[in-house]
Amino acid sequence: MSENHLPPAHGSAVEQPSALQPTRDPGATLPDLLEVLLNKGVHLNLDLIISVADVPLIGVNLRATIAGIETMIEYGMMRQWDDQTRAWVQRSLSRHLPMADGEEVVAAMAASHLRDDFQRIWRPGRAYLTTHRLIVHRRDPAETLWQTRLDSIASAESYTEPSVGGEDRMRLKIVLHDGSVARLSALDADRLLTLIRQQRQVPGGAQAESAAAEDQGPRMRGTMWYLETFAQGATWRGGKATLTREGMLTWKSPLDNRASLRIEPAQLKAVHLEKHSNPTSQAQVLRVETTSGEVRLAGPDLHKWHQLLHDDTESGQEVDHGAGSQ
Amino acid sequence: MSSETLYVYAIIPAGSPAPTGAGINGSQLHTVEAEPVSAVVHTHHAGPYEGPDEDVKRWVLEHSDVIEECWNQASSVLPVSFNVMVQASETSGATAAEQLRGWLQDSGQELKQRLQELAGTSELRVEIALDAAQFPQNEPEVLEATRELAGKPAGVRRLLEKRLEKVQRRLTDAGADRLYPDYRMRLAAQCQQIQDYATTQRPEGTVSVLSAACLVDSERISELGAELTQIQQEQPSARIRFLGPWPPYSFVDIDAGAGSASTPQEGKSSAET
Repeated sequence: MSENHLPPAHGSAVEQPSALQPTRDPGATLPDLLEVLLNKGVHLNLDLIISVADVPLIGVNLRATIAGIETMIEYGMMRQWDDQTRAWVQRSLSRHLPMADGEEVVAAMAASHLRDDFQRIWRPGRAYLTTHRLIVHRRDPAETLWQTRLDSIASAESYTEPSVGGEDRMRLKIVLHDGSVARLSALDADRLLTLIRQQRQVPGGAQAESAAAEDQGPRMRGTMWYLETFAQGATWRGGKATLTREGMLTWKSPLDNRASLRIEPAQLKAVHLEKHSNPTSQAQVLRVETTSGEVRLAGPDLHKWHQLLHDDTESGQEVDHGAGSQ
Repeated sequence: MSSETLYVYAIIPAGSPAPTGAGINGSQLHTVEAEPVSAVVHTHHAGPYEGPDEDVKRWVLEHSDVIEECWNQASSVLPVSFNVMVQASETSGATAAEQLRGWLQDSGQELKQRLQELAGTSELRVEIALDAAQFPQNEPEVLEATRELAGKPAGVRRLLEKRLEKVQRRLTDAGADRLYPDYRMRLAAQCQQIQDYATTQRPEGTVSVLSAACLVDSERISELGAELTQIQQEQPSARIRFLGPWPPYSFVDIDAGAGSASTPQEGKSSAET
């Protein structure tokens, strides 16, 4: 049987457009090149060899420009970093913002805190969400404008109010267990709120959206290996498979930015268990036939996955027949 | 303590010619030879390079020039990160060269194997993003929101525009989720390995679909380019950056000295019949 999983030729080969040429123009590639040279390559970490590719020696400014450290923190990518870089960021932050042992920054962004005593003033700084605390800190002159332990937060919600300029701005209202209320604004208040809730299961406020969607969760989710096809052979890659309530099957590696596999219910044709070498201790893998080819998955609970997906193909086909008989 | 250290640029197969060009700040290059592999170095009399950003940029580029030259001359090269130096041992009294030679011998088999695996390959970087205004332009939700804008006073307009932008981003992001598996599969078919990375720079007004370092057979780079041309033609709102070819910086995959970190050849499943 032919195993050409590649999508059919797009367009015909008759009028072959010229291939896109990669650029080596330093003007365009310098930041990428710097990033790669500072982060990749052989690290010699024997104790007899001093590896000073570690960042502090190179100088903070360059690092900030090339790796966009601030940006990366803002996008919450800390978790994907190697330990070295993370350690550096922790050190550089802790120079002006002391951290507890094991406390790590999850996200940081421009933010301000409303001081509401004798007069109402928004005081600008940066919000740092760590594994322990939510902090609004001003670097220069250094002052912690407001902070709380995450476990002191009773609820967190967003609301909008017109800013001084007249535009609607999203604010965060943080209610603590002691009844006190803090109001924050942040560059990306939505994301900060999501992260606060993730970091610590903080309930929403009165108008928070219903948690029904979360309650339901996916139908099945678990560790799974996916056989990815490369130019020369195929490689099993580790990750997580998810079957949603809607019947969509996805697989994502923690190293990838998005899911590599995404099979909508309508694309699912059949599933089979078959013998195939794989990284697990089991002899069988799951072969999933779709409208655009087939994929192989391996992992624990394969029979249960098979059962669920098999049921889906049956019901999917019924729908298909119905549609076809119109 | 001896202040003489060796600044390391790259690991190359034993017996490869030393680069003829100069290293950082015009320093003279030579190789430290060991049995299976050699290192390209210069003798360094100061500490690590540090200074103003502009200087560091220049040094990093000079560092990469040396790696490039090795890459062009030797059959294969393992690039070493910027600012890696080998010191003489204070305890044993071994010189920097002896230290390095010892390490090359100890890690030699692993380094040699990786050199062989990387022979004839290049690293290319592919970044595919979607223009967030163009991609969802025909979606009913966007058309509706655009209609609403017409004839509104400036203040309201600004608010509605913000909202429209959010809708566009959401729809584009959902589109990126749908497109990623196809793009990934098509690129993988042209590559030996792929590694996603977090984009450090994203053009304004776009949503990233895929940013990947691709390890490609140097002879097949144009095939990867052709696939990207296809993608561009199918998806006019795609913004594609295609960088390289470079030495395989992202695929060295060796944490030499920290135990065996070499990736087992679990891939290459030849059972695909």
